[in-house]
Amino acid sequence: MDATRAGGDLSRRAADAVVAAGFAIAGFAVTIAPAVLMRSEVLNAGIGSLDDDVLAASAAVGAVEMVLAWRRVRNQERTATRRLHVWIASFNALVALALTASLLLLLVLYLFPDEHASLANRGFPVFALWAGVQAVAVVLAEATGWLFFSWLRPEAP
Amino acid sequence: MNRREFLAAGVGLVGAAATAGTLGGAVWPALTREDLLPGEPPDVRLTPHAWQTAGDRLSFAVLGDNGSGGRQALAVAERMAFTYQTAPYGLVALLGDICYYGSLRRRFETVFRRPFGPLLDAGVGFELAIGNHDSGLHFSDDRLSAMEAELELLGTPGRYYTASHGPVDFFFLDSSIPGVYGPRASEQLDWLDDALASSANQWKVVAMHHPPYSSGQHGSTPGAQERLVPLLSRHRVDLVLSGHDHDYERVEPQQGVTYVVSGGGCKTTAVGRSRFTAVSERTLQFLHVEVVDAQLTAKCIRADGSVADRWTLRAREGT
Repeated sequence: MDATRAGGDLSRRAADAVVAAGFAIAGFAVTIAPAVLMRSEVLNAGIGSLDDDVLAASAAVGAVEMVLAWRRVRNQERTATRRLHVWIASFNALVALALTASLLLLLVLYLFPDEHASLANRGFPVFALWAGVQAVAVVLAEATGWLFFSWLRPEAP
Repeated sequence: MNRREFLAAGVGLVGAAATAGTLGGAVWPALTREDLLPGEPPDVRLTPHAWQTAGDRLSFAVLGDNGSGGRQALAVAERMAFTYQTAPYGLVALLGDICYYGSLRRRFETVFRRPFGPLLDAGVGFELAIGNHDSGLHFSDDRLSAMEAELELLGTPGRYYTASHGPVDFFFLDSSIPGVYGPRASEQLDWLDDALASSANQWKVVAMHHPPYSSGQHGSTPGAQERLVPLLSRHRVDLVLSGHDHDYERVEPQQGVTYVVSGGGCKTTAVGRSRFTAVSERTLQFLHVEVVDAQLTAKCIRADGSVADRWTLRAREGT
């Protein structure tokens, strides 16, 4: 009986870890997606080295997001009354990240091109702009994950 | 599943579907298609007036659809500056769409002075054929007035005009007027007919934004082959330069006239091949052209400095 329960706990812990890893990897993927797509376009245009800095910035932000998502999901798995709450909150956080990591970039770049050119003139590196915008997306996604998780708790108002 | 769980899951699923549609349908295509990232302006000092000018000699560059002010536009502009160092030219023929994402008046520094600073400082002149993105699509008199005011920034004398440089007479057209090849086209085409007829120079080069022949995303401009091409052929025009499609295309001579699309000034889009295609390539590029007496030599130069196409023309005889 004890052995069966111990085995069940073990497989459950393994499943929790797999779920957390899955959300962390998915977070990394949607964070670097716009940079990867832009890089493939630049390769098509015949200037392959042009977007290295942006790809590196996305990879750095994506790595931070991986750690944050892993810690959030693992934390929620330890305190959740139902695993479903973790999955829903994490999925919603991932959706928020996927949308904002690309949409915020487009809005910021499209609406203020002359301001960015002026900043570039003064030596402001483009990867800092890119990473900064994606960092905001990560913060919004993490907030989404925690908000939904809190709202789903039985003791939530 | 309780009510909250159902609601939260529903928000996630609906959000996922909306996000997938938004990203795949609008955001990612815009991010990849447009040249939105800022870049460094060319840091090159050029020898002023290094080109040779004579009655039988002219070197010029041709650039289309360069109006983003982004890093891809700057990469092409920098290559143009480098090319000037080894093969100086005194003129750039702009094929339109010199300003995206806003008005030329507001973005003049970003899309013109910043990328072309070294060439401007070297005294290189610029001529412009108006594109459909220059000051927006002008469907009204107010729009036309605004555009003409903005063209003064470049010193362009009008929406369509002629300019003689050495052995070449250039004819810059405004192909962005709605219905330019329809019933309302007669004014500009009548003017072109007269201007070509009175041209006595050795070379006749027509520059316009919308291509009569193209295998790119926009394709051949409707009506151009019926209304414009016979006129160009009748007046023995040597070369027609256009942009609009963001690629490079050279067309097999049509009724004796060579047509080139040079629209890779800052963005690229897919290009195929048609029955009239000689060369086509999706690439960031500009053209460098040298005319010496009766021979014209052109190179399509990519942003990385490699040559995508090289060709020669002999001047057509007769007027």
